[in-house]
Amino acid sequence: MAIYEKKPSNFSAAFAFAIVALATATVSGQARNTHDRAQPRTPWGDPDVQGVWSIATITPFERPSALAGKEVLTELEAAELEKTNLTTNNQDRRDGAGTDADVARAYNDFWWDRGTKVVPTRQTSLVVDPPDGRVPALTPEGQKRAADRAARGYDSWEDRSLWERCITRGLPMIPGPYNNNYQILQTPGYVVILHEMIHDARIIPLDGRPHVGQNIRQWFGDSRGRWEGNTLVVDTKNFTDKVSFRGSTKNLHLIERFTRIDRDTVNYEFTIDDPATFTKKWTAAIPMTNTDELIYEYACHEGNYGMVNLLSGARVQEKAAEGGDPAP
Amino acid sequence: MRTRIRGAIVACGAAVGLAVASLAVLPTASGQSSATYKAPRSAFKDGKPDLNGIWQANNTANWDIQGHAARQGPILELGAAFSVPAGLGVVEGDDIPYQPWAAAKKKENAANWLKLDPEIKCYMPGVPRATYMPFPFQIVQTPTHILMAYEFASASRTIYMNSKDESPADTWMGWSRGRWEGDTLVVDVNAFNGETWFDRAGNFHSDALHVVERYTPVSRDVLQYDVTIEDPKVFTRPWKMSMPLYRRVEKNAQLLEYKCVEFVEELMYGHLRKKTK
Repeated sequence: MAIYEKKPSNFSAAFAFAIVALATATVSGQARNTHDRAQPRTPWGDPDVQGVWSIATITPFERPSALAGKEVLTELEAAELEKTNLTTNNQDRRDGAGTDADVARAYNDFWWDRGTKVVPTRQTSLVVDPPDGRVPALTPEGQKRAADRAARGYDSWEDRSLWERCITRGLPMIPGPYNNNYQILQTPGYVVILHEMIHDARIIPLDGRPHVGQNIRQWFGDSRGRWEGNTLVVDTKNFTDKVSFRGSTKNLHLIERFTRIDRDTVNYEFTIDDPATFTKKWTAAIPMTNTDELIYEYACHEGNYGMVNLLSGARVQEKAAEGGDPAP
Repeated sequence: MRTRIRGAIVACGAAVGLAVASLAVLPTASGQSSATYKAPRSAFKDGKPDLNGIWQANNTANWDIQGHAARQGPILELGAAFSVPAGLGVVEGDDIPYQPWAAAKKKENAANWLKLDPEIKCYMPGVPRATYMPFPFQIVQTPTHILMAYEFASASRTIYMNSKDESPADTWMGWSRGRWEGDTLVVDVNAFNGETWFDRAGNFHSDALHVVERYTPVSRDVLQYDVTIEDPKVFTRPWKMSMPLYRRVEKNAQLLEYKCVEFVEELMYGHLRKKTK
């Protein structure tokens, strides 16, 4: 099971090792290594990646231009960045009253969960391949789609993002300003990832079954998983063209890898393969850190007053611009 | 098969005792009962029955949990394709003990179904309604957490096993704490926000709803689902529903998406769309 003592002393770990080794030898006599400290296993022998994990981090997705050529921060630089971030991300500041910046702090710190730390590797971006830490250039077709997407207005909900519409945060998993927690559960033949954001339970079969038919296109695509050594590899295809990750098409092939590297960390890597959008494949790496938090219900659509207010506001402004009633 | 034979032998040996006991056990389509069926055990080796799988009710309770004749649907153009199928009902005694004010409100809900039913707006359906909507759901069972993932609206809830934790807030899907009573998974659900309904017939509850669900494997492919409903603000006494849940036995069975938000945006926000001249 996924409940481990955190960072046990060498003595207690060694003791547990001995007990488990004895039990394994006497009960099952199986040769499989079920007592590897770094690689806990389920009772049926799969690597155990269960638990509640957070992907919150202040490490930027792409490497900032100021850090061009620098792949890793020194410990001192990381500490500086974390310190600076506490100030810049502080939503409880009340300076600049009446400015947009102050209005934008209407959600105070209680509501945010951006993380306060850089990733443990101190890599300067979550994108790790290409080595410059930047998402590769878009194809001409990709550029056109990006331009179309940028023309967002307030005419209807269709102009707004899938997050604002409360449809899904989608794939892959990337750190956001809140609800960065995910729970992984395992049963024989399945790995399940419960996303706190909009209560999506992503159920990944491991039994080698083929993908669903080409006509079945989904917001989360269609995922199939397998173990390669201690790494869970998940292939996802069959995306709908209504969802897009940084401009990707419905033909996106998403490859994700989950590897438990210690008790408190699952390394999450995803590769984006979509030649119609990106000039080459690229990969990001995000550590998932064990947390004691529970996953709570995120009722997004049910309380989506934001959408009503946003559209109502736009209609009032239009009326005012036409010389009707002045905007309140 | 072996399990079934062994069960039959035990049944012969205890014929007198079982004859009495079977009165309290609902028979299933396969003729087996929870008294004779022994479910496979969980791969977690905790000795508990394995309820993993994709399950679905096969009844018309989502239309009306009480017995009802077929009737014409609300949209004239949809004719026979989307009219209401009949059902025998799933409520014990077919009687829901509403307080007088609540009986009136139920009637009002039914009369204004299209306007008031939270299902129509793609809101999370609550418990027990999520169980018997005409969509499959998947049970993902570990010793400490049991995830119920529903196809409708991608709703989900986690059942915390042997937990005393209370919900920090009211919810749509409730706060679920589970325990095993023999081979029955008993789930205590509370902390509802009072916004969900039981069906399309306007049967409703308040935020004082307390649900106790019992999932009992009665054959390889059938769970007996028994629910006790308690809500002192709305009903005069607790009452019960029960129904079988069937395993989706297709080899390639999997939950697909029914992310219905996009199906209701025009309905909910259409009046706020910019009018083109």
